[in-house]
Amino acid sequence: MAPRILVVGEVIDGAMSRLSGETATMARLLAGAAGGSALGLVVDPSPDAAAAELAAYLPRVDAVTALATAGETWAPHALAEIERLATDGVTHVLLGVTADARDLAGLIVGRLGWGLLANADKVTWDGSGPVVEASVLGGKAIVRSSFTGETGVITLRPGAVTAEPAGAPGSVDARAAGGSPAMPVTKVLDRVAEAGAEASLEEARVVVVGGRGIGGPEGFGLVDDLAEVLGGVVGATRASVDAGWIAYARQIGQTGKIVKPALYLGLGVSGAMQHRVGMQSADAIVAVNKDPDAPIGEIADLLVVGDLFDIGPALAAELRARRGG
Amino acid sequence: MRILVLTKPVPDPAAGSERLGSDLRLDRAASPTVVNGNDEYALEAALQLVEAHGGEVAIMSMAAPNATDTMRKALAMGALRGVLVTDPALAGADIPTTVRVLAAATAKETFDLLLAGLDTSDGTGGAVAAGIAARLGLPLLSAAAAIEPDPAGGTVRVRRLSARGYDLIEAPMPAVVSCTQALGAPRYPSLKGIMAARSREITVLGLGDLEADLSPADGAWATRVIAADPPPARAAGRVISAPAPEAAREIADFLADRRLI
Amino acid sequence: MAAVSTNPPVHGSIRLTEDQILLRDAVRELAQEQVAPRAADIDRAAEWPEDMRRLLAAQDIFGIAFAERHGGLGADLLTLCLAIEELSRACATTGLILAVQSLGAIPIQVAGSDEQQERWLPGLATGEKLISFGLTEAEAGSDASAVRTRAERDGDEYVINGGKRFISHASVADYVVVFAVTNPEAEKPSRRMSAILVETDRPGFKVTRLEHKMGIRGSPTAELAFDNVRVPVGNRLGDEGRGFSVAMQTFERSRPGIAAQAVGIAQGALDAAAQYATERRQRGKPIAELQMIQAMLADMDAATEAARHLLYTACQEIDAGAPDAARWAAICKLVAGDAAMRVTTDAVQVFGGYGYVDEYPVERMMRDAKITQLYEGTQQIQRLVVARALLAKRS
Repeated sequence: MAPRILVVGEVIDGAMSRLSGETATMARLLAGAAGGSALGLVVDPSPDAAAAELAAYLPRVDAVTALATAGETWAPHALAEIERLATDGVTHVLLGVTADARDLAGLIVGRLGWGLLANADKVTWDGSGPVVEASVLGGKAIVRSSFTGETGVITLRPGAVTAEPAGAPGSVDARAAGGSPAMPVTKVLDRVAEAGAEASLEEARVVVVGGRGIGGPEGFGLVDDLAEVLGGVVGATRASVDAGWIAYARQIGQTGKIVKPALYLGLGVSGAMQHRVGMQSADAIVAVNKDPDAPIGEIADLLVVGDLFDIGPALAAELRARRGG
Repeated sequence: MRILVLTKPVPDPAAGSERLGSDLRLDRAASPTVVNGNDEYALEAALQLVEAHGGEVAIMSMAAPNATDTMRKALAMGALRGVLVTDPALAGADIPTTVRVLAAATAKETFDLLLAGLDTSDGTGGAVAAGIAARLGLPLLSAAAAIEPDPAGGTVRVRRLSARGYDLIEAPMPAVVSCTQALGAPRYPSLKGIMAARSREITVLGLGDLEADLSPADGAWATRVIAADPPPARAAGRVISAPAPEAAREIADFLADRRLI
Repeated sequence: MAAVSTNPPVHGSIRLTEDQILLRDAVRELAQEQVAPRAADIDRAAEWPEDMRRLLAAQDIFGIAFAERHGGLGADLLTLCLAIEELSRACATTGLILAVQSLGAIPIQVAGSDEQQERWLPGLATGEKLISFGLTEAEAGSDASAVRTRAERDGDEYVINGGKRFISHASVADYVVVFAVTNPEAEKPSRRMSAILVETDRPGFKVTRLEHKMGIRGSPTAELAFDNVRVPVGNRLGDEGRGFSVAMQTFERSRPGIAAQAVGIAQGALDAAAQYATERRQRGKPIAELQMIQAMLADMDAATEAARHLLYTACQEIDAGAPDAARWAAICKLVAGDAAMRVTTDAVQVFGGYGYVDEYPVERMMRDAKITQLYEGTQQIQRLVVARALLAKRS
């Protein structure tokens, strides 16, 4: 059976997410290598705009209007559509790693019994199926895995591929969601936006982190400033989160988020293992700490020993000067 | 309330000695075992819920036979009994099999809530809770930062962490809830808890005790590891110690060299 | 005729039971993760660490020293000492919280009636109530029988007048076991006093000052004044005139607790010094590779281990009802206190100049260690007890 790779797109504020563009590109490349086909699926109360964007990457996108997902969690509804498409020849489902995708991947495993290869940093096609490369055990090993059968679910990390539209846009098939999901739904009573929860750490190219040495919530003003001048996102260690200085959504580490930015700048971060597993694959690691023996020094490309409250502002000033104000 | 918490014994991440064996599967003997971090948050949430609403907490693990030691720590925190699903055939089981087995085992239990950590430090697929919900036909409430059951009304509300903040979601019980660190730090087992845990019951189930078609369809796990390599070595770093303006210049030079600014 | 224990001697065969290991490891984990990070601040602030008291209460650690029927864990003396040792390894002040609570409770346990035990011990077992041991006075330190605080009988009450000095934790305690003269006419000085439990909210009880100390600075050491403090006769523990005996019986079980504190302090200092030696580099190598450092660390380890094993043996002998329990209590406290002082002094030496500054923990540990040679009977008193027992076998 020829591989048929389904990309489930993610809708943010009515538009397609950047991660969905990458995932769709990956699906197209794999389908090409496999001599198979790729298609997209958008499930949303108003899927048309996002589906049109996704169609720039794929030959066909199903835009499913699921009004119920305005007031119910998304994954069971997406599952219902995928079950429909599975009978229509879909062999692999490709999802960008998000909270909803994690749920959907699990639902597919439960309902269809497919295998799951998660958190892929790289996917290639080796003749019989996808080969997924992922980092495991907190970064201790990079494993390459494959499915033993003809089907499977893959979740893809941001940055695994650069999003690239296809030569010509594909078609959009619009339809209404077909009936209720096979599993019980969960109602969404409210969606609350919290300040500081927005920008995605996992997709950020630059991450600036405040650790215990920041000393308090006010210290994050400096972290914000450096993030701003570097065009990055603010992150935190577990120490800062436990101390109540910043939201858990910002936490990088074993029980927080795993990030692989081009630049990680840590201020007052000691580099406990808990945190390191969340950032040690960053391309460049710079740390400012008053302790020359801080464990972060073991993985930092540049460890700057000194007071972060002197060096931080000096750095911000220097970067602004070089930028030209 | 009756709450069942899935607790997975994993190699202790703090020990730093996790590794894959020569068969490219996790070498579970290489490190001391602890309860998976996120499962401890789930267990703590469960204990607080029965303290508030009455009831009891039980734990369940699918693991090697020596998992009883690790389960004792969860019992010492206050869970009243444990169930260990163990069978040589399950060594190295893939995610679909884990889901099928745990679904079959939890189906034998009565509960209002089934809690599990969002993911595990030795896996990170994070699919098991959702898979069990799908298989048992129970509602899924994921990424919980707060859990508020209404036993009288038979529903549960969860604050679900989202990219923008949180969603307030609700479903009838029994339900499956996957749990995050935001629920709050797990308690240390008290000494009385430790002593009591020694006599609490851990029921051991083998595959033969579970009714379901559990063997993988064609006898093989759904996924396999082809190769494993250590991460690329980082080049040795530099340490600088200089007055702030000079240090700032050095950092900026470094960033410029790497085309980061 | 040589004094012989009626039970077979157990020394030479110390094996901790599974329960003891379980409890020790639980306290060790708690101490390393929750207590150790607080130790430097507790010393610097020199204030009672209420959060540590709550932690010990929440984890049932106070319960180790109490029988199950009083809400405790019913654990033995060795288990209590294991807990004190592990806590003291992280923070000597926190270890002392447990040690003082068990010290204050012993008079109730050895001399109190069933009713008195039921009245006071359960609250102490949970750590909800705190208790202090009020024997020492300005003029009655090593000479305990020189106590002058008076408790005069008036109807069904005692009226207590006098003062106490160097009473650990009395400023935060709910009860103080006060040793006061009730029988001034008694011929032998050691028959003149009684042990009386005084609730600290009684009118006339006052904490008049707190000492500023070299070490264990988070532990409040109080001077007390009793100004016509009235307590019911029912608060007296044991018979009138038996107070001195109650105190001596208490020391048999409380001195090992101080030995445990000393062993813990020594171990903490050894851990810090050994770690430092592997990290500190001079002339291109860790100082741990230098023989002079190795010799010091080895001697520190030997001294700590020897003190530990003597302590564990003493605990087992005392719990087995050895008639020479007083000698065991004194000998283990003597050896452990001297070991702690020596090991912490050497630990500072290993650190060199850095050992003298408060950025590193060993200077605090050295200051903390000194008290183990002074309280609960000075080393000189311990020597008198040991010598007396030794020579009694020969006379």
